[in-house]
Amino acid sequence: MHAISPSFCLGRLGRLTLILSLVSVLAFTLVSLSPVDPVSAYIGIDRMQISIEQEQRIIERWGLDRPAPERFFIWAKNVLTGDLGRSMIFNEPVTKVIGKRFVTSLWLMASAWLLSGVLGFVLGVVAGTNRNSLADRVIRLYSYTLASTPSFWLGLVLLAVFSVSLGWTPICCATPPGVSPDDASLWERLHHLILPAATLSVIGVAQIALHTREKTIDAMHSEYALFALAQGESRTGVAWRHAVRNVALPAVTLQFASLGELFGGSVLAEQVFSYPGLGRATVEAGIRGDVPLLLGITLFSAVFVFSGNLIADILYGVLDPRIRIGAEEAK
Amino acid sequence: MHAFRKICAGRFALAAAIGLLALATLAVTPALAKDTLTLAIKGEPDDGYDPTLGWGRYGNPLFQSTLLKRDENLNIVNDLATSAELSADGLTWNVTIREDAKFSDGSPLTAEDVAYTFNTAATSSGKVDLINMDKATAIGDYTVQLTLKKRDTTFINRLVSLGIVPKAAHGPGYARKPIGSGPYRMVEWNEGQQMIAERNPHYYGAEPFFKRLVFLFTDEDTSFAAAKAGKVDVVVVPQVLAVQTIPGMVLHPVKSVDNRGLMFPCVPNTGKVTDKGSPIGNDVTADLAIRKAINLSINRQVLVKGVLEGFGRPAYGPCDGLPWDNPANSFKDADPKAARKILADAGWKDTDGDGIVDKDGIKAEFTIIYPADRAIRQYLALAVADMLKPIGIHAVVEGKRSWDEIKHLMHSSVIVFGWGAHDPIEVYQLYSSHHAGDGWNNPGYYVNAKVDEYLDGAISAESYEASLNLWKKAQWDGKTGSDVHGDAPWAWLVNLEHTYFISEHLDVGVSQVEPHGHGWPITANIQKWTWKD
Repeated sequence: MHAISPSFCLGRLGRLTLILSLVSVLAFTLVSLSPVDPVSAYIGIDRMQISIEQEQRIIERWGLDRPAPERFFIWAKNVLTGDLGRSMIFNEPVTKVIGKRFVTSLWLMASAWLLSGVLGFVLGVVAGTNRNSLADRVIRLYSYTLASTPSFWLGLVLLAVFSVSLGWTPICCATPPGVSPDDASLWERLHHLILPAATLSVIGVAQIALHTREKTIDAMHSEYALFALAQGESRTGVAWRHAVRNVALPAVTLQFASLGELFGGSVLAEQVFSYPGLGRATVEAGIRGDVPLLLGITLFSAVFVFSGNLIADILYGVLDPRIRIGAEEAK
Repeated sequence: MHAFRKICAGRFALAAAIGLLALATLAVTPALAKDTLTLAIKGEPDDGYDPTLGWGRYGNPLFQSTLLKRDENLNIVNDLATSAELSADGLTWNVTIREDAKFSDGSPLTAEDVAYTFNTAATSSGKVDLINMDKATAIGDYTVQLTLKKRDTTFINRLVSLGIVPKAAHGPGYARKPIGSGPYRMVEWNEGQQMIAERNPHYYGAEPFFKRLVFLFTDEDTSFAAAKAGKVDVVVVPQVLAVQTIPGMVLHPVKSVDNRGLMFPCVPNTGKVTDKGSPIGNDVTADLAIRKAINLSINRQVLVKGVLEGFGRPAYGPCDGLPWDNPANSFKDADPKAARKILADAGWKDTDGDGIVDKDGIKAEFTIIYPADRAIRQYLALAVADMLKPIGIHAVVEGKRSWDEIKHLMHSSVIVFGWGAHDPIEVYQLYSSHHAGDGWNNPGYYVNAKVDEYLDGAISAESYEASLNLWKKAQWDGKTGSDVHGDAPWAWLVNLEHTYFISEHLDVGVSQVEPHGHGWPITANIQKWTWKD
């Protein structure tokens, strides 16, 4: 398999290193140019009770008294040794903050990702096999509408209807009030995931469904499909036995390549549902000028998205032997 | 239309499916027993529950206890301390502490822990300002000596607000797993979501009624929705939402010194700038007559009713009703006639007939600036601008995106600020000329030698009690001062009332006049709260 070849690995590693260095320089520059004064944000309304001397000490504790390039090189040097620094607002190592928050986000992102992938694929295949039927028209309309719906708005609507008016779903958070995450049952966790996951998956469903629909239509009109139909195979049979494998390829790629959007979407969804994941931490870090945390999250998300694309590349070869064989023959 | 119906149908089907699933799981959510109280009052300390970094500075560290505390009437009484005395030279605090105090892990609390806490807080560079402390020393097991670098009567507020941590168990991880001698101990904290506390079995005081406390750290809208859904017992709401009703809950408004006021630049614009390049001075507001006229013409009662929905009271000073407030600050406002007379006497006349008074070719115009995302400040600015029109003063109202932007303008424009702390040092920073323009201190460059003298005298008085009178005199001594009778460097507008909805079964006793921090201060007497059926 080409995925394992050393040159492939090296190439990807080089690309990742380049991306990470560019991303960190860019992110640091942007944050340094931001007008947000982290010390003011930290002191807040206590300003009048903190003397100038004490404020100076806080500035020194955070190292903000040094020039920006110097701070960047200190940071970069530490990162190379695996130390992402200490979050200013959470007073904890950045890696620890990201780790804790990501575990919570992972539940949300994973369920939304699965939901959008499975639902989008099924809807797309159904629509594509029965082109121009009622089901197709409904699914298409549904997808077009979803594709143009802002997810945070949909989240607010769902929250207003199901949590506030009907009281079926929880208002917020990842577990019920008074129950710690360790004691929460699987049901409780799922209960709290329903709305945010539904909101977040909306981003993916429409895209996957429409894409899959197009590919299914192509497949249903291919010569092998026509041949199968001519032999008396039903449309469903053709779709299931002959088209799905061909259609799955672009769908899976798209699904893995969409991790970036998923990450971005989770920021909004977590904000709406007070879901204490990485998305909310990102917002906090941004509005309060927590440079180490913001840089840490940026690096983390870059790796996350990169991995998604990498997996998509590898799966391509697994799912479609032609690509793998083609690559081997090319050598 | 046709299409729209289909979308609705599609979405409804999806919604119904999700709804059914939710219904199936609803039965699993446990009903909360009465020994557990759920509060949604904001105020999550992101950096943890470490008093040496600033946790608990609003008087109630919950997990830790303090040497002294403020009671319902804001009098300073003993907590951990059995006696706390300041030496005659005002430089040494001798504090003896009770001998039965234990931390929640069962270990005894000694003078060593107290000394450690103060010394650590002094060097950890957080929100605890102990710049004036020289050192803390344990003398014997239950006596501690705190020495100051110079006399400072406001230092007593550190004895009131600094929670004592155990020397043996304090370290980098402490902020997330606090151990203290307070009425509650932490069970668990899930950042960004909730914190669970339970009674501390080793607490030396009366046993609190509620066994468990659950603090939800959700944002305002979510908390309100949760209260409407019957999930919380105490919720803090903004004044605009306080007029609503929540089934099973009653409104609990609490007086506060959470004030809003207009800060005036008190020096004329001579082209000077700060070392950061911000312009200094305003020719219009530098005139005392303008500042006094503005103060007199504003109808504060209308502001309270119109902007705060009635949840507040007029403000006449920065510390209304606190022990260091001078009752003489109040005056008859909503008096445009008197305001016009003051302007006319000072030579402000409308010479060109445009409705705006002028003097020496300068029109009575300035900009009132506020952070655009603060609705109350915006409404106050707009209402004040309206009230100034009839007396011929033209105020332009302008929202800015952030404090970082306002910081640049605060020496030359009128700003809607809000303060209010349980510490008179604030009065010092607002009015003293020694640090004028330094950071956020006295941004209007207000100078009055007599006021400075009183303020310095209050800081270096022989005791906190003795300082109170001097703080009052700095505001108005019968001849001069920083209130409206004097130099009027500010137009204080309103003190908010903090509004909470609490369960109709909950008795929270008497709440103290709250400082600026909205939410957490209501827990100051939480160990006295009870549940009645």
